[in-house]
Amino acid sequence: MDDDELIARLAGGDDTALRELLSLHAPWLAARLRMALPAADVEDVLQESFLAAWRGAGSYRPEGAAAGWLWGIARRQAALWLRRRGRAALLVHALAQAGPPAAADPVDAALTRADLEEAVAALGPPGEPEREVWRLLYVEDRPVAEVAELMGVPQGTVKSRAHRARRRLRAALLGGRPAAEGGPR
Amino acid sequence: MNVELTDLTRRFGRTQAVAGVNLATGPGVFGLLGPNGAGKTSLLRMMATVIPPTSGTLRLLGRDPSGYGPRREIRRRLGYLPQSLGYYPGFTVVEFVEYFALLKEMPAAQVPAAVAAAVERVDLGSKASSRLRTLSGGMLRRVGIAQAIVNGPELLLLDEPTAGLDPEQRVQFRSLLRDLGQHATVVVSTHLVEDVGAACGEVALMDQGKIVFHGTPGELTARAEGTTAAGDAPLERGYSAVLAQSRS
Amino acid sequence: MSDVDAGPRDNPVPSDVDLRRVWTGVAAEVWRREPGPLERLAGQLLRSPGLARALLTTPSLVVPWLIASVVVLAAGAIAARGTGQPLVELVAPAVAAAGIAYAYGPGIDSAWELSRSMAVSDRMVLLVRALGVFAVDAVLGLAASAASGSAAGITFGWLVPMTAVSALALAAATLARSANVGVAAGLAGWTIMVLSGPASGGLIGYAVSNSALVLPYLAFAASCAAIVGYATRIPRGPS
Repeated sequence: MDDDELIARLAGGDDTALRELLSLHAPWLAARLRMALPAADVEDVLQESFLAAWRGAGSYRPEGAAAGWLWGIARRQAALWLRRRGRAALLVHALAQAGPPAAADPVDAALTRADLEEAVAALGPPGEPEREVWRLLYVEDRPVAEVAELMGVPQGTVKSRAHRARRRLRAALLGGRPAAEGGPR
Repeated sequence: MNVELTDLTRRFGRTQAVAGVNLATGPGVFGLLGPNGAGKTSLLRMMATVIPPTSGTLRLLGRDPSGYGPRREIRRRLGYLPQSLGYYPGFTVVEFVEYFALLKEMPAAQVPAAVAAAVERVDLGSKASSRLRTLSGGMLRRVGIAQAIVNGPELLLLDEPTAGLDPEQRVQFRSLLRDLGQHATVVVSTHLVEDVGAACGEVALMDQGKIVFHGTPGELTARAEGTTAAGDAPLERGYSAVLAQSRS
Repeated sequence: MSDVDAGPRDNPVPSDVDLRRVWTGVAAEVWRREPGPLERLAGQLLRSPGLARALLTTPSLVVPWLIASVVVLAAGAIAARGTGQPLVELVAPAVAAAGIAYAYGPGIDSAWELSRSMAVSDRMVLLVRALGVFAVDAVLGLAASAASGSAAGITFGWLVPMTAVSALALAAATLARSANVGVAAGLAGWTIMVLSGPASGGLIGYAVSNSALVLPYLAFAASCAAIVGYATRIPRGPS
């Protein structure tokens, strides 16, 4: 039975389908979450994720992307979990440690991009100084000197705008916890 | 000691089912062997506080069950699987286990997780929402085991628990017994000698209402040495040897 | 198989993550059945979720049984309007006797042996269920009685004989370990009472309308209750 059929049965209230879905997908979800969370938290997040899948199975569109759907749920649950426990900084650090998403995982890359795009929107519309610095320095990966020349500002200004951009991104990604990290927004 | 029996007897009319039993046991798995009619079920029923003794003293989990308050306290900490367990055909597996969890006065908030754990422990998770009338005999027996363990009992009494289980399920069940016996007193009454040998640290053999042997499975096996007792396995031969001696 | 399918499932479970605990937690929520408002109310009144659950799973309080009771009493009410006889008041005790005999106990409860080892004692369950069935049947009977146009004295007068007949049915069922024996005893006893009216030259409603029978009924009910208490005892100490 493929994943789409399992999720369809889930939507119909079949708990044996949920059990099967968990046995198929929990291992890799656990491995991925473990890169960012302690083991006990992984168990709790997985539990919340599969319960969310159980409740939300009716909204799943069978396009063969069950793994991506489940990963999306797990990521949101992980973020919720960490925010509730005030450990969002841990996630940011852990994600940075985990390195860039593997190229062989287009689903994860797509989800990361989607999350990131939402956060980047917090920098303002295209053309805004922090948004421009972000685009030139991090997306196009230009050196600081070149960015300063292109924007017609000193390198120090480029660096301070980059610093503000990173803080705004962090705030957007973490759902707003600036005070505990020290310094005003 | 979780179980302390002193000169315990039970009479039904003119029949003496239990004729003066002395026993004391703590945590671990305790096997109760014996032929049909030996008094094992009556002994277990007294330990389950289902019937009172005719004479003698009985202390369970450090309490005297003849008083209402202590008896209720014992029953909260007790798990019992009768020899023949009826079931409610219209209940699902989860409903049945939950019903008895509530009757054992488990805190209501703990019940869902305890029920799920018990159902999974006996490997009935895939049948959790099935009505009992649709289950096989072996599955129903496992439902009975689940209700017995749902409250994490300190004293677990199982009367012929492996009836209807296939060999693989019996192996899993013995593993469950060993796990449970680490913290609780588990008394298993059975006529299947191999179940006792595999899981029990201590064994008593009953015949005609009395305990005729009490020791380890190894000691029971040793009793067959120098005899021509019947049996396909060493423990069976020990069993036969002790019975023959007690009846001679 | 797509990259999505191949990649994720190749990852082994981290050794410190217990997926069994994950599933148990999920199952506990998925399998959980929240008690309905009636059960919650009963749990608060009885101060015991176990007793509340036992009450709501009483065999003679399930919907088909209640519907049958309503049908019988409604038929009695309609017939009473037509004939002028107190048929509801004569039928209601029989309905209650049957309900009480099927409330609980050996012969009804296939898990009776197990129930005897529960912290919520089988006697408490018996008491609560018997009272529950009695209360429900009393309410149904009163409604049918009022609908049949009976006088107020008759409308309430049959509650006492109903108590006696129910107690008889329960005592017989408990002693014989059979609901059918209980029903038969209750119906037989009630029939004898009802027919003793015309037999002694009185009215067919003699059994419900004669105030001189109130004390005997109550004494009889108390005796039957004592028998039930004795039959379900666990004595203190050796017997």
